[in-house]
Amino acid sequence: MSESDSKQLRRILAHVTRDEFVGRTPELARLVSHPATTSQARGLLVLLAPLAGVSELLRQAYDELFNRRSEIVPIYFQVERSYATAVSASIEFLNTFVRQYIAFQRNAPSLCEASLTLSDLVKLAPATDYDWIADLVAAYNQLRFSDDSKALVRFCLSAPQRVPPQNGRPFVMIDGVELAAYLNTDVQLGSEMIKTFNRSHLPYALAGLRRQVFEAVHRAGTDFETLDVLRLDRLKEEEATRLVEIAARRQKVALSEETGDLLAEQFEGSPLFITAFLQAARERNSTPTTYLACQQLYVDDLMGGHLNRHFSSLLEDIAAEPEVRRTLIRILYESAIAGKRRTPFETWRKLLNAETPALQRVLAQLHMHELINWDGTSVEAGGGPAVWLDYLKIRFRLDVANDPRATVVADAIADALKRAPHTMTHRYKRSANLNLRELLSRFDCQVVPEMLFDYADFAASYRGAEVEEIVRGLDSESKHLRLPQVFHTATCSSFIANLDQFRDKERCIVAHAFEGGTYTSTNQVVWLVAELESKLEADRRLTEAWLDSLTLSAIHSGFNRTRIWLIAREGFSLEACELLKQRKAFASSRQQFELLAARIKEWEPPKVASKPDDFELVLPMGDDNEVLAAGIVEQIARRLDFRPEAINQIKTAIVEACINASEHSFSPDRKIYQRFRLESDKLVITISSRGVVPSNLQAQSTEQGAEIGQVNETSEERRGWGLKLIKTLMDEVEFERVDEGTSLRMTKYLRRGSS
Amino acid sequence: MGESTGASVRSHCIGTTAVVYASDYLNKLTGEKIERECRKQLDCGCRALVIDFSDTELVNSIGISILLGIIDIAERNGARVIFSDLNTQTIELFQVLGLTRHVILARDEQEALTALTSFTMQSSTVGH
Repeated sequence: MSESDSKQLRRILAHVTRDEFVGRTPELARLVSHPATTSQARGLLVLLAPLAGVSELLRQAYDELFNRRSEIVPIYFQVERSYATAVSASIEFLNTFVRQYIAFQRNAPSLCEASLTLSDLVKLAPATDYDWIADLVAAYNQLRFSDDSKALVRFCLSAPQRVPPQNGRPFVMIDGVELAAYLNTDVQLGSEMIKTFNRSHLPYALAGLRRQVFEAVHRAGTDFETLDVLRLDRLKEEEATRLVEIAARRQKVALSEETGDLLAEQFEGSPLFITAFLQAARERNSTPTTYLACQQLYVDDLMGGHLNRHFSSLLEDIAAEPEVRRTLIRILYESAIAGKRRTPFETWRKLLNAETPALQRVLAQLHMHELINWDGTSVEAGGGPAVWLDYLKIRFRLDVANDPRATVVADAIADALKRAPHTMTHRYKRSANLNLRELLSRFDCQVVPEMLFDYADFAASYRGAEVEEIVRGLDSESKHLRLPQVFHTATCSSFIANLDQFRDKERCIVAHAFEGGTYTSTNQVVWLVAELESKLEADRRLTEAWLDSLTLSAIHSGFNRTRIWLIAREGFSLEACELLKQRKAFASSRQQFELLAARIKEWEPPKVASKPDDFELVLPMGDDNEVLAAGIVEQIARRLDFRPEAINQIKTAIVEACINASEHSFSPDRKIYQRFRLESDKLVITISSRGVVPSNLQAQSTEQGAEIGQVNETSEERRGWGLKLIKTLMDEVEFERVDEGTSLRMTKYLRRGSS
Repeated sequence: MGESTGASVRSHCIGTTAVVYASDYLNKLTGEKIERECRKQLDCGCRALVIDFSDTELVNSIGISILLGIIDIAERNGARVIFSDLNTQTIELFQVLGLTRHVILARDEQEALTALTSFTMQSSTVGH
């Protein structure tokens, strides 16, 4: 949407203008395009991480679709806690649907949130819709007093299906963040929504807490193939900062840059918390331009303001009885200070003195909000956002420990003030961090210069050199390292709790991987990677401490094969390098890390999507079909003016590659997939087949061409010539990593002029 | 000259020399047919094999390995082997795989036969 379009957009349900809506541009585009991209009923599940915020996203989508005036009729419905029962919620949905439908057809946005009964709405219905709306309301009036709650719920939810196709296509967007509150009702609202909307011929979107939505989908027994998924994670750092800035401006609350950053960090980017805080600032005429003013206001709001009401309502929904709630607070708080530990369900049952079904409902709700992890048998508590933990502590001290209120308030402010500088240090360090985790997660069998992992060698060759010279030097390096394929990363502290005490989490990462992309026990490896804090070259003492720490962590965690990689901004001293060599650990400076990151980010896996100079061919194995492939590649190669000798080499190579694929793959479909890509200076050919990955593939891929053509070689040895021949005839040959079968990529460069 | 087409492999004999004609694509199947024909000729008393590649456009590594096998067999039987009428690309391929170290290449069948004749005369002279 252009800037001018954005400015002209009527604001109907959205709380902020499009310019003020921060951080969800791709998600908004996806949501808005969903109804148009599918002619069949297809649900879009919008899975929300806690604190991510979704209501405004749906409202913005509503406004955009309303303003487009196309055949898509947007319907936005927010499930509220106050509806109390699934029946009430469904009746509200019916009213909302009819109201918004009429508002759209009459192009009267003011009707969207008008307080009108169904009877009023019938009178407002346009002529082309009068009959079916009147019938709908009449049918509702007959059904509403029946005892069958489920039938009434389904009737209300299926109202959009009554719209005649020529009158438009409703796109229902359900804001189901509060759906968890309906877990205890006789009719499962979330599941009924999914079932009903899925059965319709209409697109829909259901947004809610990710655990809740998944639960609802499973209960509804819905086929996941009919559903698309959009995941909403927390706002990124820059987006959160911008949100604070915009929200503060809108609320006319003065902030300093420092407190703006603090709020973004402290509230973890949560639109809910940020808005609640700024609202409190406005109501109290507060000017949180210092850490002191911020934290005083924060604690004040946590004690009895919007933040307090948010969490109190949540706890009241989860545990209606005050005594149960009190015990729950105690258990949750004590778990939080003890660190995340698993407790059996039975222990919870005894502590809460609750019957199993009631406790299950409590735990399910806590689990939905990701305040605990419950797998059906044990509970891991102590999680949740920092704001929640502060609230919990306050509630514990007031309700369980019966501490004087004044003491609780003073201590809470003191804690928040003491924590604030550490919060910001963590944020600034994170910005300066190398982002180890992101880079490690991109390791996928790329081949990189080995020197990027050897500080001593790198320093000897390139210390003081210009970047261009270093890059050229690395490009011509002959020693390479094939990175493993990383399939999981986590902070070291996720494995070893005590590391958390003195380590910056994101600077110490454990990456689980397979070498060569081959999934066997022997190829499995764990990389332990740490970024050392050292202003100068890391000395031996520091290096040794880290090596010992990571080695012990590896043993403790039961990792069999490991690789330690240390990174220090300025590299390592000579003594440290000697030690690293003895311990066979990798070591890099920041510069090496950045060079590696640049290489990895440039590397893109081969794309399957065709481009104009991409040719694809599928041939059955056998019947000398490799000759066909050779003929086709000859024609393709002629387009690039390859010399005849080169064309023959290419033909021979493709014949060998096809035979290789046929002989080694145990292919289930007996097909060879070929892709030819013409570039200005080369022809890239990929020959693939499904089936078994040959066990010696890695060796074949990396071994140099050997002497071949010996008379006294055995016939079996001679039969292995195919790959060697390909390597001789083509300029670059590589086995691509695939999940099954083989994929061989061969490249022939065009040499213009003389041979 | 005795000519035979042993299961689609053309061949003919000139004295104690058998000329066997390779097909347009030398692969496992056609290579084995040539090998069979060569064995047959050697069993019949041939002292030299000329394999004519005038029709051959494409050769794969299995075919080449079979040719090396033929050279083995011929050596064991005290027979000579000459390849004739190879195109440039096939020569290059044979060179890459080292085949040309073990076999003489002749421009055509006539040249191959002439070469064999001169070998025979040299052998006779030496033995004197």
